[in-house]
Amino acid sequence: MKKFLSVFLLLSFIFVLVACGGSDDASSETDGGNNEESGSGDQGNDTGNVSDDQIELRFAWWGGQERHDRTLEVIELYESKNPHIKITAEYSGFDGYFDRLSTQFAAGNAPDIIQYGGNLNDYVSRDVVLPLDQFVGNELDISLHDETMLEAGSFNGSLYGVTLGTNAWGLLLNKTLFEEAGVDLPSEDWTWEDFTEIAVQLTENLDGIAGTEYFDHNGFGIFIDQKGKVLHEDGVLGIDEQDVVDWFTLWQDIRDTGAVVLPEIQAASSTTPEQSMIVAREVAMQLIPSNQLGAYRNATQDELVFHVHPLMDGRSGIALRPSQFLAGYSETEHPEEVAKFLDFFVNDLEATAILGNDRGAPVNSEVRENLIAIANETDSDIFAYIDFISRTSDSPYVPNLPGYNETEALFKTTSEEIAFGQISVTDGASQYFTELVEVLERNR
Amino acid sequence: MLQKRKNYLIAYMFLLPWFIGFFGLVVGPMISSLYLSFTQYDLLTAPQWVGAQNYVEMFNDRKFIASVKVTTTFVVIGVPLQLIAALFIAMLLNKGLSGIGFYRTVYYIPSLLGGSVAIALLWKNIFGMNGIFNDFLGIFGIAGRGWVSHPDYAIYTLIALATWQFGSSMVIFLAGLKQIPGELYEAASVDGANPFMKFKAITLPLLSPVILFNLVMVSISSLQVFTSAYIVSEGSGGPANSTLFYTLYLYQKGFSFFEMGYASAMAWLLLIVIALLTAIIFFSSKYWVHYEYGGKS
Repeated sequence: MKKFLSVFLLLSFIFVLVACGGSDDASSETDGGNNEESGSGDQGNDTGNVSDDQIELRFAWWGGQERHDRTLEVIELYESKNPHIKITAEYSGFDGYFDRLSTQFAAGNAPDIIQYGGNLNDYVSRDVVLPLDQFVGNELDISLHDETMLEAGSFNGSLYGVTLGTNAWGLLLNKTLFEEAGVDLPSEDWTWEDFTEIAVQLTENLDGIAGTEYFDHNGFGIFIDQKGKVLHEDGVLGIDEQDVVDWFTLWQDIRDTGAVVLPEIQAASSTTPEQSMIVAREVAMQLIPSNQLGAYRNATQDELVFHVHPLMDGRSGIALRPSQFLAGYSETEHPEEVAKFLDFFVNDLEATAILGNDRGAPVNSEVRENLIAIANETDSDIFAYIDFISRTSDSPYVPNLPGYNETEALFKTTSEEIAFGQISVTDGASQYFTELVEVLERNR
Repeated sequence: MLQKRKNYLIAYMFLLPWFIGFFGLVVGPMISSLYLSFTQYDLLTAPQWVGAQNYVEMFNDRKFIASVKVTTTFVVIGVPLQLIAALFIAMLLNKGLSGIGFYRTVYYIPSLLGGSVAIALLWKNIFGMNGIFNDFLGIFGIAGRGWVSHPDYAIYTLIALATWQFGSSMVIFLAGLKQIPGELYEAASVDGANPFMKFKAITLPLLSPVILFNLVMVSISSLQVFTSAYIVSEGSGGPANSTLFYTLYLYQKGFSFFEMGYASAMAWLLLIVIALLTAIIFFSSKYWVHYEYGGKS
């Protein structure tokens, strides 16, 4: 009996150890190809059916549940059309996605197909991204892609990534809250002064809900464009310290009216639409990229409208931007197959219809027309907004700063230090600027 | 002689799995990280030798200094709290209650769960703006704050989380308390000692070897704390670097900012600090640890 007990205890101890050690696996599930359940995001795994003449490609992306479902459906479609290909999906939320990728690159076993954001340049400069030039016109057709979006995925004259969609930042307004507060929706040519006034009115008329969130580094990029400057060109800054001071002063003034949400609420909020402040009714206005409109609308009963950013001197500062890129791993064993899959993902009418607007408005003009023809209400709103921006704004697309992870963290920390009153606007701006120059120096 | 050597061989065979793990997973990586700490290494391209630059750079790095401050606060406040809580509960459980096995298990559970992602998420919600802690304060008419997301308070919620995980120290204290002969307390009672005097004159000295052990273990694990801060701040160490633990910054540097050389240097500095701290504790133990048999050793 005693022996039995000790064996039992030992086994359960091992079980606990294994259970603790295995927690990472929850984020990367393998998708079992022909398995019917996989489309719903519940993973039934059957990885053991790769035969010798089959080619296996690994595909990594981040996103919410909706994107996972749509992407898995496209993978299934591709596999049914190309029975010799098996695609293993490695998907997760955004947190930790690039950290895991870094380790995979270091170990030399990164996925063959990888979704990048505006930080693609950081990886191209480290030679881990597959150049696509040799496949253009063969496996990969880019003839109908927007010129600017091809440029966005090109570095030093070579194409590295296909753009998955076009995006534009804008303000998400909670119309239900506007009505509760008895505040009219703003016009299309509203200014920062109008914005502040509306935020104040909302805050006063709504109990415990702030008018707006703080726009952080994405808003800063827009603000710099509104001032007629360019944030940087190839890592060379086009701004000076005074621009940073102006940005933080602008927000300090709005904050002084009480219309900005408490910094501790913003610090605890998440970038995931379902856990955002506007969905939680902490704020009535929030800055979001257009492709996320659908996810926000699905997360709340409130009516949300997508509106242009407040203007300064007549400029909205909004540029059409690539949302994300799909690119290959430079060490992949099957570069042609990777290129074929990229082509399918952005050009195939059936696949792009499944993917919809979730990664932004398609960059292939034929695909886009097809989507506009079958668009639902949210998609129509997004296309209308993109169209509005392309007609009214001449702001150039500025890629993210090099060393994106670090420069973004630096801006966020500085913003928090100022918002919590730990440092003055001028000292904070000066500290940010000095450290920004250092980071850019290191990433040259 | 031959027989003896054969016996050794068998012993080594049995030890082999451990040796493979030790050299492959501990010694090997440590040596390579020592090398990397003298290089600039972005994980993706080959490391470049830069000498002691990483070690020098640390002392001009504002975030590094912030991370040292946060970790020091955590250790200086958290370790005593954790030990006191563990000792207090252990003494309660040592009173000979019925159903002691049950209570012991209940109080031990947090230390099994405490390091997990789920508990960190739970903590984030309890001490969030709309968490039950604020509801509780509301009963007394106190307006709550966003405890986990305010730079003045965030670190203390993490200290509270660590204190709550006193279970493993508690079990060791409990074992130590059981070793103390009951006659000593009886004799003290006869001499008219009150409970506080008994605690001071009997419990603490006789328990001091166990306190030493727990102090060393808890200090080391506190210097290495990572998961709770990573989850609560979503990997940022925020707000305003207030939960930027040393290991969290090390992780950011290595995996998010592509500076694995710098991260390796940080890891080695931490190893040295842990070694020094442990040495200091052991050295000081001469003056306060009492070994029952054979007097002070």
